[in-house]
Amino acid sequence: MGELKVSRARDDELVAIGLGSCIGLAIVDSTACVAGLAHVVLPDSQGVNGPAPKFADTAIPEMIASLRAVGANKSRCRAVLVGGARMFAISGGLDIGARNDAAVRAALALEGIEMFAAATGGNRGRTVRVMVGTGEVTVQEAGGESITLLGPRRPDSHSRPTRQLKLTGVRT
Amino acid sequence: MSTRYTELQLDALRELANIASGTAATALSQMLGREVELNVPRALALPLADAVDAAGAPGETVTGVVIPLEGDIEGLVLLLIPLDSAQTLCRLLGVEAGSEFGDSALSEIGNILGTSYLNALAAMTGLALGPCPPHLSTDLLGAIVASVLAATAGEAEMALVMDSELDVAGEPCSMSFLLLPTLGGAVDLLAPLGLSETAA
Repeated sequence: MGELKVSRARDDELVAIGLGSCIGLAIVDSTACVAGLAHVVLPDSQGVNGPAPKFADTAIPEMIASLRAVGANKSRCRAVLVGGARMFAISGGLDIGARNDAAVRAALALEGIEMFAAATGGNRGRTVRVMVGTGEVTVQEAGGESITLLGPRRPDSHSRPTRQLKLTGVRT
Repeated sequence: MSTRYTELQLDALRELANIASGTAATALSQMLGREVELNVPRALALPLADAVDAAGAPGETVTGVVIPLEGDIEGLVLLLIPLDSAQTLCRLLGVEAGSEFGDSALSEIGNILGTSYLNALAAMTGLALGPCPPHLSTDLLGAIVASVLAATAGEAEMALVMDSELDVAGEPCSMSFLLLPTLGGAVDLLAPLGLSETAA
């Protein structure tokens, strides 16, 4: 909760297991082989001095700065959103999911980052995985199939050694 | 927002949790007609991510029963039941696990545990405390616990977690019972003990 991981190691896989109302925000620059994953907990920092990735409004600028620092080009970055569910049908404070979803989308729009795909809302928990080497992003619900939200890089790039690194990649 | 708790505060909360969960264990024992063992309760002040880890493996599928608090303290009670334990509980109560009746029975267990725990807590502190109707979800532990923490302790750096482990004797059946006050709720809980001053 409130963490951010950025990587350009091609055999890395970034994972957030068990997202409920929180958002797993993946931002990928497939060309530079750079990817990041943030675990956003709440929509608005309201000036609170906490870890930046915890809040939608502070997470996105921090994430873009971190991605750029390891070689990402902002104009090539594509975002994938996972989570934002409503786990319990309780009125009031527990419907943070929908607010998180809207806040992350708004923050991405403000930065001009393309929102490529989303698996948000509903009432099921989800797990998101980002394969840094291929730029692939998948989502899986409890007991469900893994679904690809952002496909791996174009086939021509697959002839390069990166794919092999992926096949032997470390899985967490 | 800095939220720290002193050892004295955590000790006092642990003692409250100990007595309250003892009462809850007795209530569960009467409902099931089995002996229920209570492991030493904990009172922990943890960063949010660590609080999820303290509750269990995030990828494990569990049944979570959430009971929001009503009265003097803001927060909620969360009962976490692993899948096999949920099946055992349903068998002991003569209902089918995963069915509407099964879910209803597990919600009722949450209700009984929550009510007896809160009654004991109210008697010790003089606070007015009661449970709201329970809500149930069977899903990834991480999704359940993180969502509940986001709603209660989300804005604070540290979450206060008071948890206890209940084991049904002679059965492969255990569950965790957690009291998760909001930041304000934790202060209100400590106030009647004369310990509401948080450490700098």
